[in-house]
Amino acid sequence: MTKVEAIIQVSKLEAVKDALHEVGVEGMTVFEARGHGRQKGHTEFYRGREYTVDLIPKVKLELVLVDDMVEKVVQAIVAAARTGKIGDGKIFLSRIDEAIRIRNDERGDSVL
Amino acid sequence: MTTGSAVRNELWDLYVKETAAIEQDFSATGDGRAVLKRRTALVDLIVQRLWIEIMVGAAHSELETSNGPKNFTLVATGGFGRGWLFPHSDIDLLFLHGSANSETEFKDPIRRFSQELWDLRLKLSPMTRNLSECERLDPNNVEFAISLLDCRYLAGDRDLFSRLHEKVIPKLIARDCQGLIENLGEITRARHHKFGNTVFHLEPNVKDGPGGLRDYSVANWLALISAMEKLKVWPDPSTLLPVSSRRALDAALDFQMSVRCFLHFRHGRHDNTLTWSMQDEAAARKIGVSDIEITNAAEWMRVYFSHVRAVHRVCNQLLEEIPAAWSSLYRQFQGWRSRVASDDFSVVDGLIFLQQPAGLRDPEMLLRLFHFMAEHGLKLSTTTEYKVEQALPALAATPPRGAELWLYLQETLVQPHAADALRAMNALRLLTLLLPELKGIEALVVRDFYHRYTVDEHSFLAIENLHRLKESKSEWDQRFAGLLIEVEQPELLYLALLLHDSGKAVASDNHVELSLQLTDSCAERLDLDPLDRETVRYLVASHLEMSGAMRRDIFDPANVRTFAERVGAPERLKMLCLMTYADIKAVNPEAMTPWKADNLWQLYIACANYLSRSADERVHTGGEKDSASVGVANLAHLRSLARVAGKKFNMFLEGLPQRYLRIHGATDVLAHAEMAARVGEDGVQLNLKQIRHWYELTLVTTDRPALFASVSGALAAWGMNIVKANAFSNAAGTVVDTFYFTDRFRTLEMNLQEWERLKKSIVSVVKGENDVARMLQDRLKSEKTDSTKVKIETQIEFDDSSSAHSTLVQVLTQDRPGLLYRMCSLISKQECNIEIALIETEGQMAIDVLYLTSGGSKLSTEKQTALGLALHTELLAK
Repeated sequence: MTKVEAIIQVSKLEAVKDALHEVGVEGMTVFEARGHGRQKGHTEFYRGREYTVDLIPKVKLELVLVDDMVEKVVQAIVAAARTGKIGDGKIFLSRIDEAIRIRNDERGDSVL
Repeated sequence: MTTGSAVRNELWDLYVKETAAIEQDFSATGDGRAVLKRRTALVDLIVQRLWIEIMVGAAHSELETSNGPKNFTLVATGGFGRGWLFPHSDIDLLFLHGSANSETEFKDPIRRFSQELWDLRLKLSPMTRNLSECERLDPNNVEFAISLLDCRYLAGDRDLFSRLHEKVIPKLIARDCQGLIENLGEITRARHHKFGNTVFHLEPNVKDGPGGLRDYSVANWLALISAMEKLKVWPDPSTLLPVSSRRALDAALDFQMSVRCFLHFRHGRHDNTLTWSMQDEAAARKIGVSDIEITNAAEWMRVYFSHVRAVHRVCNQLLEEIPAAWSSLYRQFQGWRSRVASDDFSVVDGLIFLQQPAGLRDPEMLLRLFHFMAEHGLKLSTTTEYKVEQALPALAATPPRGAELWLYLQETLVQPHAADALRAMNALRLLTLLLPELKGIEALVVRDFYHRYTVDEHSFLAIENLHRLKESKSEWDQRFAGLLIEVEQPELLYLALLLHDSGKAVASDNHVELSLQLTDSCAERLDLDPLDRETVRYLVASHLEMSGAMRRDIFDPANVRTFAERVGAPERLKMLCLMTYADIKAVNPEAMTPWKADNLWQLYIACANYLSRSADERVHTGGEKDSASVGVANLAHLRSLARVAGKKFNMFLEGLPQRYLRIHGATDVLAHAEMAARVGEDGVQLNLKQIRHWYELTLVTTDRPALFASVSGALAAWGMNIVKANAFSNAAGTVVDTFYFTDRFRTLEMNLQEWERLKKSIVSVVKGENDVARMLQDRLKSEKTDSTKVKIETQIEFDDSSSAHSTLVQVLTQDRPGLLYRMCSLISKQECNIEIALIETEGQMAIDVLYLTSGGSKLSTEKQTALGLALHTELLAK
């Protein structure tokens, strides 16, 4: 099992969700996030005050998948979230030892 | 002594058989009250039988009776004591000793007794106390004292129970009445707060939620304590609750008992949550509503909400009324509130009473009552509510409408407690009588995964969210609060919030369409001014757009431009931003995260700045492509309405900034075009009118040097305070300047002839026949006092990139009399021309954006430096 964490632009959330549904992903967790990589912040002046946004709004998706789904899902996210500009986001993959369904203590791939 | 297995088996069989029979009967009848009665009788029988088995003969040192040992008794308390034993309720038992001596002796029998009940799978909540422990209120366990109010004899020493019931509890009440009531009030308020202080939850808790069964008990306890304190004995239970509400409360109790029994049977455990699936099933099985035609869960939930609303109302009334009688601090606070009483209403203990009950026959009095409530944050007394209900049938025949209704409604909507007044009007069915457009969303449950409240409550909460901004300490709320202060017609924003989801009355993919139809109907009913109607309509139609824009890249200039152009005018942007904020926050308490609040604010300021910096994009009447941003349809619509000839109308519009068309409605544009057509007659066309709390002066003339400065100087010389102004010119050099000002000395209000004198004075200044500088000097001499409350640092910023033709200068500085004149005269002296002026005032801060040219081009760097220095020097001078 692999955990996929994708940090993407807010504007791409709907497209990514649709793409994931198309490749058969049924569930995901979405977080409101802020951050930046090489993309710089943004400053706006209003009524004489400076409003600086160092951390850009993003959304973070988390999914745990069976291994043979991972590449398909990564490709789906990349295709849907890419604009080709700085700030498109990143995808992180990590190994998961076990998954347990709380309702019935079921374990293994079938939980996903 | 151990309980014989024969007795245990016998009790188990009895319990299982009777429980099944009770459930079967409930399935057939849906009668919750009958379940409670039978189940209480069943458990009574079991505990009494066990008492005889275990306790009788257990004591050796005390004299025994047929009921067991003396000085030891078994008491049912809490829900069991009331005879309200729901299928999976806890069984509250008190083992009461006459003295502390017998407690050790009966420790083991009590343990065995409890064990037997647990073995029968009865959930026991046992307590052991001696009589003296029941005499005093334990502040750490108020619940115990409250549970005694429902005590009932079960077994054991009857004399001991009588001492508890007839002496100890009345004594406890007499001594600790105030503490008991205050604690009960605190616990109840904390519970209500946990549920967002509203009955209108999509998946309510039928026991603990506001208006649930716990509230019915609280109302009873409050009334009982109050009556007992006066009578010193137990009062007749049937006389406790207000006569006017008793019938509604009895019906509510029957209904809620049935619903809670249904939930316990269906969940198979002590779970009081009325989930969506339970709502569907309850509606299909017509739980509690056998005599009403119900076709779906939404209809059934409306019945549910009408019952819990009645209970919540009475509970809240008693929470207000009863503590007042004991607490001196409370009385002092309420005494202070009673000072707001008027000729129409008196205020006693925070409740509104009518000075003349017959007065409610007058619809205006009824509307004034809710305005009074919204203004002062008071509640209606029970008698006032009763009188309102009595007045409704007559009102229904000829409900107020048109300007009369809107006058009161708008005044109510802007008051700090408007949401509470609307809730009260809704609960009494007055709101839907006045605005039938809201009938479809009354107590309407719309199921989704994020809305927590019914549609009507969501709308009231959205209104409340805006009113609460002013008192909030959160950084986000304070930013949006600042914006709310700037809104020119907040009443329209509140009306739009009231109507924005009215279209949810009919299930569809797009509720906005129906909301718009209902908004039109409501605007007709209220006889709204066409411009106001347009604003409310716009807000309702666009209430989801800013949330949608937040889902795109809010820092992408193209997205900002697209959204800002769609909104068009800064005033609309402010209202839409606040509407979005209030709407999201009313979805559920966690919906408006700091993440969303920040994104909304960033989008707002980006769009506001875009609108200020793009004000000089011009209207071209010849090509459809060029006029796309203001809308070809819009121009065609204006042309169709114009009374001046098409060519003249086009000439007037040609070259005017698009911003002009965005901030002026069709009526204004047509009037200006007609004024422009008459300019040739005497060179200057003026229109002065009073709008709401300020005056509007429109000047249409041919452009000339220092024109804007002269008029602002003349107005300042008349003692007028310019709060907003716009200056635009078209390709033919016709100028349309609009000044919005307040009349500081009430000159125009007190002397009607001064209107003409002011206009003549302005014309003479425009024509150069009067010296503005001298006029202003005289005025400023007579005003020596410095009214500066907040010091504003002057900031001057030049921007060469936003406009293709002009240099923008934004000046933020301390507002003061004659400021605009001084600034604009100086700009004129520096040989700069004001192409567009956007003048605003926020509190004591003047925010002026001017589009300047010099010799028909942008300002050179040298010119900008010189002008900046000159402005700084001028604005620093007193």
